[in-house]
Amino acid sequence: MKEVFIGSENLLKLIGRWAKDHRVYVPVTFDIMNNEATPDYDLVKDTVPDTIQLQGAAPAHSAKTFVFYPREVVANYPSSDAEANVVAPPTIVVGPRGCDVRGLGKFDKVYWSTKHFTEEHDDPFVVEKRENTYIVSVECTAAKETCFCTAVGGKPYADDGFDLNLAPLGTGCIVTVGSERGGKLLAGSDDLLREVTSEHKSEREKNRASVTEAVDRQNAQFAVETPYDKRDLASSEDAWAYVTQNCVGCGACNRACPTCTCFLLVDQRATGGYERSRNWDTCLSTGYARTGGGGNSRPALAQRLENRLRCKFEYSRDRYGLVTCTGCGRCIDACMGRIDMREAIKHVVTEKAKA
Amino acid sequence: MKNLYRPIESVIEEIKPETPNITTYRFRPKEPISFAAGQFVELTVPGVGEAPFTPSSNPNVKDMMEITIMSVGTVTEALTKLKVGDTVGIRGPYGNGYDLSDFEGKEILIMGGGVGLAPLRSLILALFDNIEKYKKISIRYGAKTPEDIVYKDLLPEWANMRNTEVLQTIDQPHPDWKGTVGVVTVLLDDLPLVTTVDVEKLPFDPDTAVACVCGPPIMLKFVNIALLDKGFKPENIYHSMERNMSCGLGKCGHCMMGEYYICKEGPVMTAAQVAKFEDPF
Repeated sequence: MKEVFIGSENLLKLIGRWAKDHRVYVPVTFDIMNNEATPDYDLVKDTVPDTIQLQGAAPAHSAKTFVFYPREVVANYPSSDAEANVVAPPTIVVGPRGCDVRGLGKFDKVYWSTKHFTEEHDDPFVVEKRENTYIVSVECTAAKETCFCTAVGGKPYADDGFDLNLAPLGTGCIVTVGSERGGKLLAGSDDLLREVTSEHKSEREKNRASVTEAVDRQNAQFAVETPYDKRDLASSEDAWAYVTQNCVGCGACNRACPTCTCFLLVDQRATGGYERSRNWDTCLSTGYARTGGGGNSRPALAQRLENRLRCKFEYSRDRYGLVTCTGCGRCIDACMGRIDMREAIKHVVTEKAKA
Repeated sequence: MKNLYRPIESVIEEIKPETPNITTYRFRPKEPISFAAGQFVELTVPGVGEAPFTPSSNPNVKDMMEITIMSVGTVTEALTKLKVGDTVGIRGPYGNGYDLSDFEGKEILIMGGGVGLAPLRSLILALFDNIEKYKKISIRYGAKTPEDIVYKDLLPEWANMRNTEVLQTIDQPHPDWKGTVGVVTVLLDDLPLVTTVDVEKLPFDPDTAVACVCGPPIMLKFVNIALLDKGFKPENIYHSMERNMSCGLGKCGHCMMGEYYICKEGPVMTAAQVAKFEDPF
């Protein structure tokens, strides 16, 4: 893959050029909580905000937010066009981490089938956004306490799946071109780019090694023997009751998760008829699996949390060949019951081994 | 790109009450919808929402679709308030149907419970269209009370078809009922346990006979056990799985059972496919 170096000031200029004909999102720090709040995405308007923050760990929102909206109208009826009416302007997202890029892989499997899984239906709303959204991934320069990508087969940087990848260094970034269209984002900006030196590369290697080591170190206490993609989770009710004891079924983990793809269709009255919207859903809600007659295959919360974790480690692996926990740690950050998913996984894998 | 979530406008052409809470609706979609027996559609009641149903009409009739519906939830309750001439939406078909070519030359046992006979009616009508291809069709149907029997007018007609029998039961004794009493598995009593008789003397060929089962989950569970005991092969027992199929497209997640989406690999699944689940029904 082609690589160039861009100085920090020039990167801001490059992002400014992109913003002329794209919607560009960059991670920024917020002036709240003494700047301790996790950076999150903001839309670049006239100038690139000086609060842009490429250092550190992943932004608060996962990249799914840009291709799968929390709520979106997917149909109007009784009369509507056979073609989908999708709003997907050209967008550049700067900031997804390795965990986020891997997470988009699940969306591609579920929603973008002609490309990735030939037997399914293509979803116009996700596919058109994927096609119009450039992913400019950023390598982590630090781990937050809840990061565990390396424990589930990931790395604190992406090897592929991006259009451009930025490796932040002290004075700028190494830019790696990951796709043809990613290369086009650099076209006409040679004035901003330099050659990558061996010093740049060794700085990147040093950073990668130190973040990997930090993630490994903070997860040593959660280590289990079975490899992440060969895990069978406990089947005993006690094991699941134990990990569920602080769960209130709020679904924050689902919403924060870069691979939770599920949704709820909601119909309501609208101008000229009715509209159908698609809304992020949570498999932890009581009614999620409920059928018309009132039957429910997962009436207990513990069964639903079990289903959620099995979905990540077993079901997605068996269906799509992907373990869909990417170790981003957002579910741990989001949980009001302070459930640490790493402890939960360790518990149910260990209980399985005992059984 | 084609919009997968758009319902096709369909007009209610006829409303026929079957029982106090079960009704057959005939719809005429504005664009023809082709389906195979066993597949399902998402029916929209405007402004209320969608629910999955397997049509009960002949899949070889393309311009209209009948669905027999029991009023049990939000969408079905709202449907009861609609009249002939009103508009609903239909999206689909989704999921797999029965592969009828697999049934040729075989004995076919059709087990229905309550409104579960409705999806099977579509299968029965498709079988009748080529009845000479099948060795035998045995329809066995259980309802709670005589009042709860669906297709009261059609059952005698079916019994008169070539190589076809219809056996019925109701759950509890009733003054108006002279026939068999007991839950639907009592209709399997003429099929001996495969372990107790000489296989040559069985009234069906346990290696090839197929069973198509549809009814409430508790019925599927016990019919499944009974059929396996009577020598049916797990790969020849076809269940209509009941889950919350919402998008129908293998995406929304509501109908997932393990790695299966019931809306894709189901709703028709064999006992062999579901055997690995502790309580699949």
